[in-house]
Amino acid sequence: MTHLPTSSFPALLVGLPILLATLSLFFGSKGRAVVGLAGSLLTTALSLIAIAEVTRRGTVIHILGGWDPPLGILLRIDPLAAVFIGMLALVGVFISLYAWWYFRVREADTGGLPQFWPLWLFLWAGMNGLFLSNDLFNLFVTLEVVGISAVALAVLSGKTTALTAGLRYLLAAITGSMAYLFGVALIYGSTGTLDISLLGQVLEPGATTTFALLVITLGLMIKMAGFPFHFWLPPAHSAALAPVSALLSALVVKGAFYILLRLWMEVFGVSLTYAAGQLIGVAGAVAVIWGSWQAFMQTSLKLIVAHSSVAQLGYLLMVFPLLILAPGVTTDSADWLSPAWTAGIYQVISHAFAKASFFLSAGIIIMALGHDRIESLRNLVGNMRITAMAIGLAGVSLIGLPPSGGFMAKWMLLKGIFLSGQWWWAPVVLTGSLLTAGYVFMLLRLAFAPAREMDTFRPVPKSLEVVALLLAIGSFLIVFPADFLIQFLESSAVFGSGIEPIMEGGEYGNN
Amino acid sequence: MSLIIDGLLAILAIYLALQSLLAPRLTQSVFLFFAFGLALALAWIRLAAVDVAITEAAIAAGFLGVLFLDALRDFAPRIPAKNEAVQKQYSKSQTKSLFLPRLTLWAGLGLFLLIALEAVWKIPEGGGLTAAAGTLLPESGVENPVTAVLLNFRAYDTWLEMGVILIGLLAVFAAGGKMAYRKPGVASQDPLLRQVILFFTPVLFLFGAFLLYIGKTGPGGAFQAGVLWGAIGILLHLGGWPFIALMPRWLGQLLLTVGLGFFLVLGFLFMAAGGALFEYPPAYAGILILIIETLAAISIAAALSAIFALLNQIGEEADEIESTT
Repeated sequence: MTHLPTSSFPALLVGLPILLATLSLFFGSKGRAVVGLAGSLLTTALSLIAIAEVTRRGTVIHILGGWDPPLGILLRIDPLAAVFIGMLALVGVFISLYAWWYFRVREADTGGLPQFWPLWLFLWAGMNGLFLSNDLFNLFVTLEVVGISAVALAVLSGKTTALTAGLRYLLAAITGSMAYLFGVALIYGSTGTLDISLLGQVLEPGATTTFALLVITLGLMIKMAGFPFHFWLPPAHSAALAPVSALLSALVVKGAFYILLRLWMEVFGVSLTYAAGQLIGVAGAVAVIWGSWQAFMQTSLKLIVAHSSVAQLGYLLMVFPLLILAPGVTTDSADWLSPAWTAGIYQVISHAFAKASFFLSAGIIIMALGHDRIESLRNLVGNMRITAMAIGLAGVSLIGLPPSGGFMAKWMLLKGIFLSGQWWWAPVVLTGSLLTAGYVFMLLRLAFAPAREMDTFRPVPKSLEVVALLLAIGSFLIVFPADFLIQFLESSAVFGSGIEPIMEGGEYGNN
Repeated sequence: MSLIIDGLLAILAIYLALQSLLAPRLTQSVFLFFAFGLALALAWIRLAAVDVAITEAAIAAGFLGVLFLDALRDFAPRIPAKNEAVQKQYSKSQTKSLFLPRLTLWAGLGLFLLIALEAVWKIPEGGGLTAAAGTLLPESGVENPVTAVLLNFRAYDTWLEMGVILIGLLAVFAAGGKMAYRKPGVASQDPLLRQVILFFTPVLFLFGAFLLYIGKTGPGGAFQAGVLWGAIGILLHLGGWPFIALMPRWLGQLLLTVGLGFFLVLGFLFMAAGGALFEYPPAYAGILILIIETLAAISIAAALSAIFALLNQIGEEADEIESTT
């Protein structure tokens, strides 16, 4: 990988937000908000310029300290990383704008919770670092940066429910990190390298590799709240402040998924079997049904949205069985790989936009009503037209109705499922969509219903509502550049790849 | 002979860990945890990883121990009575119904451990990156390969970890809902304590400085020195000189961020000069690493003292609420 063109952008994408986070510490609450918002805008601009650079020059790398891997660490932006960085930047900047007004209204006397902005910039830098990293141990460090700042953000309100949920989140996150680190230690012990590209060439199948795959997958599943490790997500995400809920649900959980995807496809091909793909697919399928059903049963808005995240993350896991081919099938004949990858990427992006919009809308409603029990959503349309529209649009994208990004994701997933002949996943996708439609339409029915008693809606700044609506519209607009996006992604080595397991041989994987 | 020592050490570490988890009283758990940390430090020495051993002893047995003791002082008086009642009730009603789940849990854990052992046992001979680090050591500016890896070959990881320490402090602030430290009350009147602290402060400082300097050639470095200097901050705080709370805000923030910030700005400067991030000119690598380590140790010390000062203050406030209600 060291022959690729070098660029300063990878270093800047991590360094700039951390520099600004550090600077912001020297200011009081109001100054921190200014530095934080300016930092968000700068980081977004930098991300977009970096992506433009990748479209022009292809994958670019940065060899930190000038020491070639495997001793040193290499950062790279390939098209796949660029898409994730772009999603983070676009959704992140809207959440920043929302947070700017949100904290000004909510903490009018103090000027906002002072730790939000530095923590958010640290989180942003950590996520960028995670998408850029090509090194197993460095990925662990970025997971730490992301995990600890995410937990700190989750407990920002200082309420008992948030602290309890945050502690559980912290314990889950640390368990996940330790499991991941254990796997990395095993891999390093057996190969003497941590560089992902090199590992893809030198990793030998065997008991150690298989066990490392197992613990790394377990650790990342805990971190991305994959079923059955989703228990920490609903309380932590629903008890946090609105902008934080949006950050955690829309962006942070995607980090662990990204690592899982990269490691399965680029490193662990030698140890993966068809059954492993089916198993993780089952976990995803159960998450889709269970999460959607739980969301349907909740009576408070934020808990509905949080449980819906469990389900939507399940769809991401359902991509894996399509990428691991049945014995005897070759990558060339598998025409469903491209749709499966597209489904995964579109699910990540459209869920980021829709879920951020949904949580931000929930925050607006809490601000207006003082609580988020759904029976009070009656006549939402009459009182807050823009927010009602944001919830409707985001909901449509979550269900997967055309012409939303969610539709693109679910359509491509179904296409992949039928082309691959793994028809047993199809009912899950449909049931999940039906259940999602159930809770979204339940909310919309209430929003249009005439008010029974007059719930007083306190006035909320229009700017907050507009930001939430823009994100919801964003989950539709992402469909338009689909052709360009897929063409761009196809220049990435990993996009569209599949794993050909060889079933005969030794007891562990592909001997 | 060495096999017997290693075996005993392994058994001791596992025994202490289990005892710490299963001890009926929190105080016992905490003291067993100290012992566990020291046993681990010994294990690291047996593995010839003296750097890790010092850090383990300083962080796990030292700093975490102090935090645990502080938490114990705040919460232990409120827990026991309730705890015993709850435990009695718990053991009566739950023991029977929990038997099967417990059995499955332990069986599952045992199976997991066995597979893990097999995985570790079967690690092929790899050799790791020790050889590569050794070859490039002369270009790194230091003679200790561990320092070379931490501050030069993989400086990026270390830089991010310094960020993690700062984030940890912010997390304590966030959880406590605090922006500032409370202004301190009267200094401690215990003359013996003050004398002891006055004696230990310069000793700890010198020992920290020694570890920092020796890191260039042997085991030692910024993290170890930072913990020792942090101990000074904690001692001074306990003795009634809470300098973290007394110093002006900008100075406190400067101490906390100077390690991370200087490291990054230096990295950016070399990048602007045409190199990569954290690419030092080989001729100056040695002195630059020493400066970075010194500033990092200062920041680590400041962060550890600040975390302690904040937690200590939260505990005191809880005491006040207790006494007024």
